[in-house]
Amino acid sequence: MNSLSRRLFLKSSAATATLAIALSSTPFVLAQDDEAEGGHVTPCLRIGTDGRITLCVPIPDMGQGMETTAAQMIAEELNVRLEDVDVELMPFLGRVNDEGRAVFGRFYQGGGGSGSTMRIWTEVRRTAAYARTLLLEAAARQWQVPRSTLTAVNGEVIETATGRALPYSELIEGTRFIGDEVKENSVDPKPVDRHAVIGKDARNVHGKAIVTGKPIFGIDAEVPDMVHAAIRRCPHLNGSVQRFDDSAARQVAGVLDVVEMQRIPEDLSTYRTVAAGVAVIARDLWSAKKAAALLEIEWDGSVSQEDDTDLLRQKCLNALDDGEFNTSIEGGDLDAAFDAAAQTVEATYFHPHWAHTCIEPHSCIARVTDDAAEIWVAHQFMDAAINGVTNAVGISPDKVTAHYYRMGTGFGRKFEEDYVMEAAILSKATGQTVKVTWSREDEMEQDYVNSLVAYRVRAAVDSDGDITAWHMKAAGDTVPAIVTREYPARLVDTYKGEFLQVPNGVSRGAWRGPHHNVAGWVIQSFLDEVAAETGQDRLEALLKLYGRKESLKSVNWPYRDTFFERYRAVLEKAASEADFGKQMSVGRGQGIAVHHTFVSVCAHVVEVEMIGQNDYRVRKVTSAIDCGLAVNPLGVRAQVESGIMDGLCAAKYGKWILDKGLVTSNNFDTYRKMRIDEAPTDVDVHIVDFGDAEPRGTGEVSLPPVIPALTNAIFAASGKRIRSLPISENL
Amino acid sequence: MAISFTINGVGRTFDGDEEMPLLWHLREEAGLKGTKFGCGIGQCGACTVHLDGDAVRSCSVPMGSLAGASITTIEGLADSDDNLHPVQEAWLEEDVPQCGYCQAGQIMATVAFLKDTPNPTDEDINAGITNLCRCGTYFRIRKAIKRAAESMAAT
Ligand code: FES
Ligand code: FES
Repeated sequence: MNSLSRRLFLKSSAATATLAIALSSTPFVLAQDDEAEGGHVTPCLRIGTDGRITLCVPIPDMGQGMETTAAQMIAEELNVRLEDVDVELMPFLGRVNDEGRAVFGRFYQGGGGSGSTMRIWTEVRRTAAYARTLLLEAAARQWQVPRSTLTAVNGEVIETATGRALPYSELIEGTRFIGDEVKENSVDPKPVDRHAVIGKDARNVHGKAIVTGKPIFGIDAEVPDMVHAAIRRCPHLNGSVQRFDDSAARQVAGVLDVVEMQRIPEDLSTYRTVAAGVAVIARDLWSAKKAAALLEIEWDGSVSQEDDTDLLRQKCLNALDDGEFNTSIEGGDLDAAFDAAAQTVEATYFHPHWAHTCIEPHSCIARVTDDAAEIWVAHQFMDAAINGVTNAVGISPDKVTAHYYRMGTGFGRKFEEDYVMEAAILSKATGQTVKVTWSREDEMEQDYVNSLVAYRVRAAVDSDGDITAWHMKAAGDTVPAIVTREYPARLVDTYKGEFLQVPNGVSRGAWRGPHHNVAGWVIQSFLDEVAAETGQDRLEALLKLYGRKESLKSVNWPYRDTFFERYRAVLEKAASEADFGKQMSVGRGQGIAVHHTFVSVCAHVVEVEMIGQNDYRVRKVTSAIDCGLAVNPLGVRAQVESGIMDGLCAAKYGKWILDKGLVTSNNFDTYRKMRIDEAPTDVDVHIVDFGDAEPRGTGEVSLPPVIPALTNAIFAASGKRIRSLPISENL
Repeated sequence: MAISFTINGVGRTFDGDEEMPLLWHLREEAGLKGTKFGCGIGQCGACTVHLDGDAVRSCSVPMGSLAGASITTIEGLADSDDNLHPVQEAWLEEDVPQCGYCQAGQIMATVAFLKDTPNPTDEDINAGITNLCRCGTYFRIRKAIKRAAESMAAT
């Protein structure tokens, strides 16, 4: 590439930021404005010198559609059509806090917790409304007319009476001087009944760039004069390099250097942040990879011998019988309720670890000098990426310039800092601009996996089949408290939740719908067991349970009020659309389940057809979700479909295997993922509208209830109750 | 000895390491980043390109095998961004891409698949399309394949 196309390339979707810029700029004039790029009117709007309008969105996209959703919010206030504008990431507009950490400023700039939409909802629309007002005011001054006689539409300010127009691009200068008179936050965003963009289907704003193969992902980034690093990381969970021989690696043409990577932290008994390893630095990626494969390394993996999937499973199951548990929640007299029960039901559940398998292996480019740093990276949280540099090489966040890219999925893994830290460390060590590119094996061996947990659930039931006491115990390699506090505890007045963490060295992290992804399965599968054991209709039993109270304040993050009317509504909607309870032929069955994840609730009916004794296909999934105001119904449906596939896949095949500390499932040949042949051909998603004026969240919400809907369907079809995952090994 | 081949109709020669997979030549030397790296072992299909018209996984094609080959990547599929291939159009119409990372590979696989199977059934699609989509866009991919097949049949 020549330097011009390199520049264009870098600009294609990256957002550039230095904290220094954000801190020094007035709110509506960004210091990064330059002649070539046109100017900003608020951080949400950039107008090119050619008049082209670019909407600038605060949160990176990993497939959850945040860039499209945020662009809709801005387009709404600016009265532009998404088809007529470009969309790019805005810079990081955070600040440095008292502890020397980068933190969010005006906008929330991270993707996670299914909360991005609601966290930017007010601020982004207000900012865009302010931009509109500034443009109107600039035109009003130029024409010497009252602002109220003007409208802003499709990139122009128009005088209603005369029809004369001024393009936004000619008004930028005018907006620079009116900040004091037109106060920020003085203009309210449009009310719901005036929405023309929000609430309407919007396709992925980067769809065309994607289908034409534009270089918009982190792994596509290049900067002039960069060198490449391939790192051989310790394959043992928590191990170190004993010695290595790099003589063959250094013979490979293009190799520049070999650098030993220290484990962070050094103490092997603490969880790993950066793996021990050996890095090959080369002029090109292939030479680096080839040379890295030639390194002869002796590892010490002795610390991780007990981090073993089978052993951990056994430890957790044993703990259910004799472990010292912590009580997370308790109400009523549990023993008395079980003594008085007409019937009791008890079951033990288990699931192994799941890997993220982010489709885009991680990468980062770093350029570290004595007192400053620059990174090019695809990361879920803008602040965390910058803090990664600070943590690795001690450069203060206000001296870090970060360029952010689209992520080829994140699922919680691209929230971690390790891949940023490695690039910063290697840049500092070599004095070069270094790009670190992970292999698939790296991505899976160095994963922060979903937790491994065993559960014992008990219910006391009265003669009407109603649950009178609920007891959930969970023992895992995480602190599995959330599941033990979840409903139906407190819906049922007598309850107890207990948890225990077994000692382990496994790096665990956020995996789409952390904790809920498995809590939903255990709870909803067990409720299905109770209904079956007591001879009740499964849907009726759920409606009755969630009809016991109108609302409760959740004791799990983010501690919102839960309105059970919404549980019932999504259950009823999914059931009626799926014709739940209809007559099915032999070997077919339906399952139903509901779960509330963070802020939103979703129900599914899954239909399966058994294939022989040990396999099945999901034929149809019918879903109902309450996510508040759906800013982009098409995007909400996409996320529900995505969560369904993710859940069906993890439940059937997900098993990340540790063999005495070694990860043996480290690519798609040893960690199976579903393909189109196992995907349901019929997915019917319904967004239940409660007339909310504000959005909540969607990205993770459909996953937790789909796994129990699936296993309940398998039970209906085959009589086999799945209490251990993955299904492929337990059917 | 230098190896000659074409990429998107443009002649190129290569005299580097013959073991290097085509994927890395495309991404790191030819400046064509649309072809993606997902697994490196032929499992995911993110790296799918056309080799003499057939869909291949470029992570598993060594450069040494390419003498005289004609390679098409996602960048060369359409005449221009304003005149997309019907498969690309169908992908946009059905709003298939989520993160989008796998989609160049999915599209290249589909274009080759529809050449042999212009009117595919669900079973044909199940057998013929094996690329991984981590975002789980399979439901929309299936619809887009059928839409593309219809629009190609109509022209
Ligand atoms: S990268 Fe080639 S098949 Fe996965
Ligand atoms: S769209 Fe993200 S992997 Fe397919």
